[in-house]
Amino acid sequence: MLNPYLPNLTVIKKITQENDLNDIKTFKLAFKNSNKFRDFKYRCGQFAELSLFGVGECPIGIASSPSDNFLEFTVKKVGMVTTALHNCEEGEIIGVRGPYGNGWPIERLESHDIFILGGGFAFTTLRSLIKYILHEENREKFGKLCVIYGTRDPGELLYKYDLRTWATRDDIQVIPTIDRASNGWVGRVGFPNQIIKEVASDTENSLAIICGPPIMIRFTIPILVKLGFPPKNILTSLEMRMKCGIGKCGRCNIGNKFVCKDGPVFSYKELQNMPKEH
Amino acid sequence: MKGRIFDKAQLSEFIDDLIKKRKVYAPINKDGLTCFSEIKSSSEIYFDFQSKLSSKEILFPRCETLFTYKRVDGDVKLEEMKVKDEEIVLFGVPPCEARGFILIDKAFSSGEFQDVYYLRRRENTIIIGKSCQYPRNTCFCTSVGGSPFGREGVDLLLHDLGEKYLLEIVSKKGEKLIDYIQKYENAAETDIKMVQRIEKVAKESMKTRLELKNIEEKLDNMFEDPLWKIIYQKCVGCGVCTYLCPTCYCFDMFDEQVTSSEGKRIRIWDSCQFPLFTLQGSGENPRPTGKERMRQRMMHKFNYYPKNYDDIACVGCGRCIRECPVNLDIREVLNKIMTQ
Amino acid sequence: MLMVDSVQTMRKIAKRLLEEKSVNLIIGYERGTLPFRTTPCFISDVKEVDRLIWDVTCENNLAKYLKDRGEKIGILAKGCDARSIVACIVENQIKRENVFIIGLPCSGVIDRKKVESELNGKEILEATISDDEIILKGEGYNKRLPVKGFLDDSCVSCKHRNPPLYDVIVGEKVLEEMGDDEFISTSKIEDKSIDERWEYFTNELSKCIRCYACRNVCPLCYCEECFVDQNMPTWLDKTDNISDIMVYHIVRVFHTAGRCVDCGACSRACPLGIDLRSITQKMVKLVKELYDFETGLMLEEVPPLATFKQDDPQEFMK
Repeated sequence: MLNPYLPNLTVIKKITQENDLNDIKTFKLAFKNSNKFRDFKYRCGQFAELSLFGVGECPIGIASSPSDNFLEFTVKKVGMVTTALHNCEEGEIIGVRGPYGNGWPIERLESHDIFILGGGFAFTTLRSLIKYILHEENREKFGKLCVIYGTRDPGELLYKYDLRTWATRDDIQVIPTIDRASNGWVGRVGFPNQIIKEVASDTENSLAIICGPPIMIRFTIPILVKLGFPPKNILTSLEMRMKCGIGKCGRCNIGNKFVCKDGPVFSYKELQNMPKEH
Repeated sequence: MKGRIFDKAQLSEFIDDLIKKRKVYAPINKDGLTCFSEIKSSSEIYFDFQSKLSSKEILFPRCETLFTYKRVDGDVKLEEMKVKDEEIVLFGVPPCEARGFILIDKAFSSGEFQDVYYLRRRENTIIIGKSCQYPRNTCFCTSVGGSPFGREGVDLLLHDLGEKYLLEIVSKKGEKLIDYIQKYENAAETDIKMVQRIEKVAKESMKTRLELKNIEEKLDNMFEDPLWKIIYQKCVGCGVCTYLCPTCYCFDMFDEQVTSSEGKRIRIWDSCQFPLFTLQGSGENPRPTGKERMRQRMMHKFNYYPKNYDDIACVGCGRCIRECPVNLDIREVLNKIMTQ
Repeated sequence: MLMVDSVQTMRKIAKRLLEEKSVNLIIGYERGTLPFRTTPCFISDVKEVDRLIWDVTCENNLAKYLKDRGEKIGILAKGCDARSIVACIVENQIKRENVFIIGLPCSGVIDRKKVESELNGKEILEATISDDEIILKGEGYNKRLPVKGFLDDSCVSCKHRNPPLYDVIVGEKVLEEMGDDEFISTSKIEDKSIDERWEYFTNELSKCIRCYACRNVCPLCYCEECFVDQNMPTWLDKTDNISDIMVYHIVRVFHTAGRCVDCGACSRACPLGIDLRSITQKMVKLVKELYDFETGLMLEEVPPLATFKQDDPQEFMK
């Protein structure tokens, strides 16, 4: 019997500051045992439990794409474990347990136009998905790809280097946007749920993926429904307090589903049939 | 029904024999507190109606180390606390608690991942249950799919026939254990008939009978019911009901630093009734008050778990009723739900 | 006044309060679901006042339920409960004008664990309760027990049986009986040697399963985030190591200094019967000795750990 509570040991290879406030960093990890990494087959939208030995664990969405040959996590400093992680230096060893969760349903996304709406810090697993779709082996399997990514201000946009690269491509429409006009920002101003109204097309046959703070999701889903996206085609990734990540410790349930095991990706149709407890 | 007959002395002999080769856990009385503990002699066994702390903690300890870590030259070494490969006998488990293990088994073994700590211990353990002849008013095992003489989850079942005991063989594991002990007589037809008689009497003496058919369907539509706001008022939000429950298995994990370079990852019992149970890093809490947490407890036991595993996650042992500091009675709650 | 007569008076008061809309809710006691239990009840409908009862099994400290209620509440309060209410008002957790205290002069509540021990754990099938006697019937037994012999230890040495603060009192005040040693629960420990004390505390506290019933039934344990759950920094761990367990109990007792009224709710709530009052009462005794202060007797008195006086004892600063 495999022990699912034992973390794999990884080395922090590179730490990238992602935002001006410097409370969000991307950690590039390499498995100490490359065999274990080969077995760590993950899908976009899955997460892993990162172990800071002596401090604890935290569940973090995987930000790299399965097509990458490295593992990346983007972590915001909010509590005890994430603070300890932010205090780490390159070369230090942390643990990784996973991959867990159901991930974005790639099979359902293939052959369709995809509209991605991201808000704030929640863009991490969306970035994984976008990188995957844009990969030369995969791009032709998917239809149009439109990404609207909004943050409070320009300094909070993650993956600025990716956003710049994507802007040069013609097989993806990327619209970074900020909540309120800011000095030096020449891009869009406004919320993703307003901008989607301008770019949405052929919504009955397209999928919309939305990740962001609960308030953004609450206000955006009705707009998507009004635009004609079928509820089963509106996908989101839920956040919950997690510990085991494998559906055993009992705390991340919404109704009879566990966010760590049956999620974190759920469609709006599924959410409609679940208790309003998230 | 197949089994062996023991008189009191022979039963003690049998248990002392088991102790020679295996770890044996049985109910004991330590200054008035009854619980399951390892025994070194059959004389330590204390048979009472129900121990205060259930046998759950033998297979699912309140606190256990999952692994240790050591930092050495910039590297980290992990060592798993492997469950010892030794045979364990869990003796004197009432049928309700044995059924509780079945329910925990389902949760811990289902899906892609297995809880190796609990399941290895479970594999290594032979459960010798003891049938319950005198259910109390707070017992309602028959209302939730169990029975005072239930055979679910036990390998052998001990029946007290007054002057003698009948040890009934229930599973292959139990059969294997008892097979080599030839000196005890096989149960006679009259003994078996007596067990059947006392079983019938015990079942009929069950005073609390709750009508819970369709409770899962009923609860499907009750998530927003105003009932929860009324029920939870007197609950003080402690963890007594969940900790004493033979079917509750929620746990927490945390790291303990022993020295600056060494430490352990530990898991402990947790409770959905504690306010931080679902608190997110962002500060959001989907269950901010006792009302949501009370609802979660009832929904999990009688709606969510049944949806996943086709069984009610309650064995009707009545501990939560007897030990709740404010006498919040699950039977009352269930009746209110069924009559809503 | 006999408790049974008090019940009628109490119900009349509750009825009047609800009818006149002086309060939105009455918090009191009603018959429990087991023969020997009462349970807290919350009544807002005047038709339900007959649910209210009052007898020697009314063991819960109802002051617990007052915090964070914006409305005006009528609450039934024994002497100790009323002291808890005063302490909560002094600490700004309850507004005086939001609470209508229906005072219950009290001669003590039963310790259920003592009764269970007397019955050797046999189930109680029927209980008849009067002011000085409880008649218990079960399988093969019929016992009459004197209430005085089975009172909770906190009641045996209680010095404040009458609520020090109330808006109306039910019946006549009772005599404040002076027990021989009001701090007997802790002085019996003080009589032991250091090694004996350590052994006693280790034996008692190693039973603890950290269910927090003791903390949660206490009206003065109202922190939004208990020190037990804080993790930046982490004060203590939650293992079953006796050190962790002891730290929890010791720190909790320190947090009750000058605030505990020795109502006994914590030790009654403990499912394992841990002798918590041997520790909690020590703090009550220390506060009395050092600062001549007893919690919850006067609204105007500031608790000693919330203020300082020039003549505060300073032995530790020598």
